Amino acid sequence: MTTDRSPLLQRFSVLLLAALIAGGCSGKDGDAGGKVTVAFWHSCVSSTVPALNELIAKFEEEHPGIRIKAQYVPTGDALIQKLITSVQSKTAPDISWIHANFLQSIIDADAIYKMDDFIHSADSLSAADLADIFPPLMEEAKWRGTLYSLPMEATGIGLLYNKELFRNAGLDPERGPRDWAELRAYAKKLTIDKNGDGKIDQFGFFVPAFPASGPLGDWMVWQFYPFLFQAGGNNINGEQTQVLYNSQAGVEALTLWKEIYHENKLSSFGIDYEPAFASKQLAMALDGPWNLPRWKQIPGLDWMVAPMPKGPAKQSTIVGGEYLAIFKQSAHPKEAWTFVKWMVRPDVQALWSMKSGYLPIRHAVRLIKEYNDYLDAHPALKTYVDQMDFAQVPNPIDYDALKISRHLAEAIERATVGNADPRAVLEESAARSNALLKASSGKATR
Amino acid sequence: MTAPAETPRVIPPAELPQKVSTKKPKGRSDLSSALAFLSPTLIVLSAFVFFPVVFSFYLSFHSWNMFSSTESFVGVGNYSSIVQNPEFWSVLKNTAVYTLGTVPLNMVISLGIAYFLNKKLAGKKLLRTAFFAPVVMSSVAAAVIWRWVYEPSFGLLNYGLSWFGIPAVNWLNNPTSAMFALIVMGVWKTFGFNMVLFSAGLQGIPEHYYEAAQIDGAGKWKQFWNITVPLLSPTTFFVLVMSVIGSFQVFDTVYVLTSGGPLGSTKVLVFYLYEQAFKFFDMGYASAVAYLLFAVVFILTMLQMKYLRGSIHYSS
Amino acid sequence: MKQKKVIGSVVLHLAMYGLALITVAPFLWMLMTSFKTLPDILTYPPVWWPKEFIVDNYVNAFSAAPFGRFYFNSVVIAVAVTIGQIITCSMAAFAFARLRFWGRDVLFYIFLGTMMIPGQVTMIPGFMMLYWLGWIDSYAALIVPGLASAFGTFLLRQFFLTIPRDLEDAASIDGCGRFGLLWRIILPLSKPALATLAVFTFMGVFNDFLWALIVVNSEEMRTVQLGLAIFRDRYQTDWGQLMAASVTATLPILLVFFVAQKYFIKGITLSGLKD
Repeated sequence: MTTDRSPLLQRFSVLLLAALIAGGCSGKDGDAGGKVTVAFWHSCVSSTVPALNELIAKFEEEHPGIRIKAQYVPTGDALIQKLITSVQSKTAPDISWIHANFLQSIIDADAIYKMDDFIHSADSLSAADLADIFPPLMEEAKWRGTLYSLPMEATGIGLLYNKELFRNAGLDPERGPRDWAELRAYAKKLTIDKNGDGKIDQFGFFVPAFPASGPLGDWMVWQFYPFLFQAGGNNINGEQTQVLYNSQAGVEALTLWKEIYHENKLSSFGIDYEPAFASKQLAMALDGPWNLPRWKQIPGLDWMVAPMPKGPAKQSTIVGGEYLAIFKQSAHPKEAWTFVKWMVRPDVQALWSMKSGYLPIRHAVRLIKEYNDYLDAHPALKTYVDQMDFAQVPNPIDYDALKISRHLAEAIERATVGNADPRAVLEESAARSNALLKASSGKATR
Repeated sequence: MTAPAETPRVIPPAELPQKVSTKKPKGRSDLSSALAFLSPTLIVLSAFVFFPVVFSFYLSFHSWNMFSSTESFVGVGNYSSIVQNPEFWSVLKNTAVYTLGTVPLNMVISLGIAYFLNKKLAGKKLLRTAFFAPVVMSSVAAAVIWRWVYEPSFGLLNYGLSWFGIPAVNWLNNPTSAMFALIVMGVWKTFGFNMVLFSAGLQGIPEHYYEAAQIDGAGKWKQFWNITVPLLSPTTFFVLVMSVIGSFQVFDTVYVLTSGGPLGSTKVLVFYLYEQAFKFFDMGYASAVAYLLFAVVFILTMLQMKYLRGSIHYSS
Repeated sequence: MKQKKVIGSVVLHLAMYGLALITVAPFLWMLMTSFKTLPDILTYPPVWWPKEFIVDNYVNAFSAAPFGRFYFNSVVIAVAVTIGQIITCSMAAFAFARLRFWGRDVLFYIFLGTMMIPGQVTMIPGFMMLYWLGWIDSYAALIVPGLASAFGTFLLRQFFLTIPRDLEDAASIDGCGRFGLLWRIILPLSKPALATLAVFTFMGVFNDFLWALIVVNSEEMRTVQLGLAIFRDRYQTDWGQLMAASVTATLPILLVFFVAQKYFIKGITLSGLKD
């Protein structure tokens, strides 16, 4: 009664062992034949990846000894976690996208170089070049005054709208709402129940209210900032002692969101805004340049991007960047720096902007004729680029950025979805944020 | 009995009788063999269960960001922050609401179905498969499907309700309906499991009890209350304890269906724990939360054992 | 009287089949949606039967996501852990059921005790250990912790205790060593219990979410469950693709269940009637 399972078992053990070994060794690629390989992690959406590949091809053409190996990592929590754990397992990339709100963790783990190490090296970047980069972007690239990254591209928020639906409602399709009052009026006019069955068939404006504890919580906060800026407010003070989002400006901004949300019954809006806009069930939404390729592909969609409506204090929008940091574990920091520095060149920025739809990081790009012509031919992109002149970044939050962002997100959710009083919820969140700031006020500067 | 060609050793007859008996060891402990047999399990469990349990306890008394090289001892600081944190209590409440919503409903439905499944029915296997199918699929897949079912404009539920003239509800958008939606999904996912347990329990009740009662003139309902329920009580007790423990640990479905929202109304204990540990990397605090979860589950189980054990009838 | 019984039976059948239909309705809804085009999906009132049957959703899900890779990962991990557990649990159960040694019962009760501890207590240090080992985002992280199981040991030990010892005694007279006893006598007799353990373990690992969520970061290491959950994270939900992915994630397990039903049932009842 002997069952001869041993060979089978043997085979499976070998498979198991192989899997373990394969799994354990997730190290970097070796360098192939004289060429240096630089691992580059990014979160470009799939519609932008072809453009990224073109960009990399151009770099490799100009730098025959270097090969860039790009790898996609989903942004947000996943990027943070992956970067931190890869540092620990010694499998960190050479270059990666990085965001201001988790710079602290990466710096704590002593994982990245200070940019000054490269800027003042033999392969230097001039002060003029640095000064030409949009100041808000430079601010975000720093942590407590020290530069740890350089921007690769910029993004912003504009007002995406459907011209056809505007026309149908008797609104001028060549421009968007100019200020908050118009935004509210337009949203109302464009929210229609076509057949009187009590179910809204077309929504005017999508207020991006998401569960604060969900994956889109931080995204919601990011889209709220332009309104906060436009009312003259900001998120935190420079000294890191107090949050500012509960100021009068914050209350006004949140009240606007709450009013539009409730007046237009956004609580019954089920699907995500992109399919809704694509199927003409949504007239206006906050959107960014990364989506330009997508809208272009949809036949029969008559759309445009307008600048953000002006707020009570000023016209503003948020600008964000994707920043590149170089990791200390890199075997090829010089080559990594070559790529980062190359990205800052005006002609490269122009090319990248035209291909990907991302916004350029510096003024000099506007001096390139080819780029200006391109913008004239692409008014939506032009709108985004023009907005760079009055775009702002939120003040950096040095410690507990994620938690403070969460407090703000909760306030936003409660005022919109929960229909609570904006001032009250902002005050409550601010109290919690300020308590955190107090607790970390003793921490040393880097 | 073939000649032991592989074992050259000749067994001395004197040793034979002792080897057969396993009652009292001859003094020869099997310790070395035992260690050999136990070592793989012991190594893995020590590394991933025993040590973590202890280390988690240790961590809960420290404040540690995990990426910085220092951890600081805070004594009961974490525990007191938790207890003073209104968010924790709201999370605990949400979990309790979820448990109170799912467990009784689940037990009634699963018992009812098990009861009727015990009767004369055609295609029992098919029925049982249908009822058990939700249990087998992953919680993530289930939540993904139900998210689609709950879709306000195009989902199955609102469509079904519209047949009865009930207006559409945005299930996942307001706190009350979101919890309700989660509960319904939770019951759907797990009642099959309890149904199987109840079925086994029901089948364990001897027929002659019912026959005797029938002769005595007792109706179906009376039979149910006076025979089925008491004799089923060990199973019922087990189902109750397991269900409570399980619903306190719900996570997957919450993560996919509601992400703890809206307005934190479906944020349950394990979701809160996950956030603290893996979004904010506050390992010490999170470990304290984990131990509190353990404590709550333990206390609930002990309470049930204490107060309900007495009502279990065992058939002799 | 007879008529009442017939009506009663009909009502019973209707009710039970009705309930069964309601129970499987979400599955059917998922299946139907997976074959629809996006306009068909985003239409009100919803239609059950697709106007146009397409398989694009399946194709896209496997290429875009990439679900093929996720599948591979899930299967490799589930198979590895299942085999691993069968090995380690049967060895440990053998020790508890057949060997005598100091501290045996105490150790067994400790095992039982750990079954009571919620997994969430061990997951943070577990994660940290993997982090220190540099195993995050690797197969090791998903396989090694699952290679042993107190529950599996318990299940097999209970079963082994029911096997009569005569066969073993005969074998040991023959000169069979302890491992031989396990390998040649006990395991072949334990096929039902092993099958139950295998089926449960496979299902548990294949369906696992939280642990994978914690230890996996990169796309190529994702499991099917992670793939499904994250598919949904982006604010662009392609319901057709998502349903196609869900169908492919669910169907294998349902099939396994249908074929091995009795092992599932047996396993559940075994764990339930432990007094």
